[in-house]
Amino acid sequence: MGIYVDKDLVDFALSYAEGKKVEYAEVRAHNEKSEGLVMKNGVLDAYFSAVDSGFCVRILADGGIGFASTNKWTRKEAKNVVEIAYKLAKTAKRKNKITFAKEKNVNISWEAEEKRKIEDVPVETRIATFTEMDKELTSQGISIPGRMLSAGTSLTEKYFVNTEGSAISSYVPLVSAFGFLTVVEGGKSEQAYKQFGYAGGWEALEKWKLTEQMINEAKVLQHVIKEARAVTPGKMDLVCGPEVTGIAAHESCGHPLEADRILGREMSQAGMSFIYPQGPFWLGSKIGSSAVNVIDDPTVKNSYGYYEYDDEGIKARPRYLYKNGVINEFLQNRESASKLDTRSNGSSRSVSYDREAIVRMSNTFVQPGDYDEDEIFEDVKRGVYMKSFTEWNIDDKRFNQRYVGREAYWIENGELKQRIARPIIETTTQTFWSAVDAVSKKVEYEAATCGKGDPQQGIPVFTGGPIMRLRGVYVK
Amino acid sequence: MSEILAKTESVVKKSKALGADEVIARTVDGRNRQVRFSNNQIDTSLAWNYLATYIVLSWKKRVVATQIPNFQKVDPTLKRLFELAKVSKENPMYGGFAQGKFNYEKSTADKSIDSLENPAELVFEAIEAAKKEAGPVTNTGGIFLASIADIYQVSSEGPAGKDCRSAVELSIRAFSDKEASGHAVECSSTLKGFDPARAGKKAGEIAKQAKNPRAGMEGKYDVVFDPLFVGSLLGMWGSMASAYSVMVQMSIFVDKLDKKVASEIVTLRDVPAAYSISNRVFDDEGVPTQENVIIKEGKFKTYLHNTSTAKIFKTKTTGNAGIVSPSPWNIEMDPGDMKREELFKEVKHGLYLTNTWYTRFQNYATGDFSTIPRDGIFQIENGEIKQSLKDIRLSDNALRMLKNITGISKEHQHVHWWSEADPPSLSPYILMKDVQITTSK
Repeated sequence: MGIYVDKDLVDFALSYAEGKKVEYAEVRAHNEKSEGLVMKNGVLDAYFSAVDSGFCVRILADGGIGFASTNKWTRKEAKNVVEIAYKLAKTAKRKNKITFAKEKNVNISWEAEEKRKIEDVPVETRIATFTEMDKELTSQGISIPGRMLSAGTSLTEKYFVNTEGSAISSYVPLVSAFGFLTVVEGGKSEQAYKQFGYAGGWEALEKWKLTEQMINEAKVLQHVIKEARAVTPGKMDLVCGPEVTGIAAHESCGHPLEADRILGREMSQAGMSFIYPQGPFWLGSKIGSSAVNVIDDPTVKNSYGYYEYDDEGIKARPRYLYKNGVINEFLQNRESASKLDTRSNGSSRSVSYDREAIVRMSNTFVQPGDYDEDEIFEDVKRGVYMKSFTEWNIDDKRFNQRYVGREAYWIENGELKQRIARPIIETTTQTFWSAVDAVSKKVEYEAATCGKGDPQQGIPVFTGGPIMRLRGVYVK
Repeated sequence: MSEILAKTESVVKKSKALGADEVIARTVDGRNRQVRFSNNQIDTSLAWNYLATYIVLSWKKRVVATQIPNFQKVDPTLKRLFELAKVSKENPMYGGFAQGKFNYEKSTADKSIDSLENPAELVFEAIEAAKKEAGPVTNTGGIFLASIADIYQVSSEGPAGKDCRSAVELSIRAFSDKEASGHAVECSSTLKGFDPARAGKKAGEIAKQAKNPRAGMEGKYDVVFDPLFVGSLLGMWGSMASAYSVMVQMSIFVDKLDKKVASEIVTLRDVPAAYSISNRVFDDEGVPTQENVIIKEGKFKTYLHNTSTAKIFKTKTTGNAGIVSPSPWNIEMDPGDMKREELFKEVKHGLYLTNTWYTRFQNYATGDFSTIPRDGIFQIENGEIKQSLKDIRLSDNALRMLKNITGISKEHQHVHWWSEADPPSLSPYILMKDVQITTSK
């Protein structure tokens, strides 16, 4: 694996914790080797390379949770963080004691496949890849005065042990890139960003076709400035490209089905959910048409949100969130599952050894339907095709959302006509998903960084889906 | 000289001996205590400590960076870093690190944070204050965070010193009903004067007033913004003052030096003052931090710079480094001449917005964006709060909003929460005309 976690010390910390009156204890170590670059308008601002490693101890005692972490790999420090975590757990003084859902212990080692080893890629190659991309981008005859690009790799080794006998080693290499463009034409500007992410080796670059994609974005923005017109607001059909389908799946399905949010644990930051106990929506409630199936699946190979076991040692599996338009399954960790009298479905994730693992999405996407893409369009008399989006947001109960089109077209009698400038759909979760009547066969993914937790834990995910048609929604 | 400072200096010397042209090493010894709570109970208490040295060096205008935990493997890490520099690419816009010897102001950080025994008690104070205000069934959640960090920084170009930075913050959201909430914060660099009950009380007050909300209506409104909401706006405007944001077109202030960008009553400063949770006596190049007037009486006066961006813009650093990107530390809007109540009296038919989240842009350069008001949203009629509202979105333009500020209160509050009101700020109540509100259809 090329990087190293001191497993003996981790085991020592766990055995030291076992000597306390704990209901449960775990020790999770991360060793992350990262490299990256930041480029501004074609100039390499800086190249960084670092190793960050440490471990955390989480203890459940007297029905309270204590967490302590350190980056000092010594026995003295291991004892110290156990003592701190134990003491913190006992300060909770909870009326309702926290318990964890019962799960099987696991002893396993797993890793993501890395075809072209990241450590074998010379720094010169990494830098050249992105400087060449910028050269190509700026040789297209398009004015792009603002170009920001960051790219990086990380090799993360983890070792997890708990008092129930689990011991899991893992290794995940990630490759990522982020580009932001400003195109100016005739005094007007349009902007776009693209994010790329891949669990695996440097073969990611061949799969992404980064240069081609960024040039395409620049051309799209130029066309939008020159040709796009505003849409006349009104009710019409809306065809969402995979990028739009994916963000909707993430924001108005994945997030509201996070069980910790439903139970209020994120109430002061990321908020709660339109789904709550004794509320109008719960498991089994209709939220969309029968064409709607949204899945969160960490097991998609090479996906940006890939993992086989979560950060509580639970085996990952697909979670069927909306099934035939019905709220079907929440994302659970052991704490939320216990409160809701169910089992964890392996949704506990942490970005670092010094952050607690909380309920997170992995790869959230609309499942494919049975329509050919042509069929989706040919039945639209008047509507908008929102292929990609720019501004977006959603309220903290995950019910009122807005997506503004970046690349968009007018559809008339099944044919794509002129470009539309920044069309907007601003609607509720129920209206959005209830309007879906057709879903195409091919899923496409986009990489994203999902924000949640305090301090913020930006975690890698895929969003995605096929092309999806909504009937009679208000577009402005 | 302390042992850590000596080791930090040694990192710089070793880097120079390898052949680096310029080097900065910054060692951070950080201690953090956090309590997270929801449903009026503590969910988890956390502590995270770290000791790490962050190194940036240049060689023939190639800039590379790394970090070393606990001074382990210093020699091989520096060797590897220097090798990286040799194969890296020249940055023609690199202007060097700040040069000179500086006398820094003494840090006023609160060392007693290190011995804070039971932060849970401070959380319980806030919860009780909220319940007292909004009723016993009030449901609260939030975080308490106390952090302290010793910073040891040495530059091959002269600057060297020690800083201590401390912060205490409590963020509490109170729900008097499922769709009636109030959010308030208490932020300070010291435990002295830190009053968690003050935040609990305000969150409770707003939550109580927010009961029985009706769906809001689209339209243009005169709006009174609470300091917490203003904190988000100041974070947005302040971040766009970074020269880096300007260079990549992520700013409404491109080509706006000495031009009118705001109402004449608006003066914005970046002030890394002792009271702020972002307090600091020097920046990441070792330049003493200073007060910078970003907007004076409506005119844009300066971008925020490090040494490199300052050279590009033919000016001097403003003490806001970030090695790659300068950034604001703590934004202040100068107080106005009206009392809070007087701002409300100016509004015949408008809104009072107490908080927001999820601010996203269509275009940073033009300033088109939207953000989602949350917690107390109130209709104002003839100067008085009449009705609680819900389900609205502010969909406007960042530049136009600056120009539409018509009133600023004398009262202000130091605010920060999560990544929404960030960086921290000293925010007044403000009155803004013709704010565009949209809703779901």
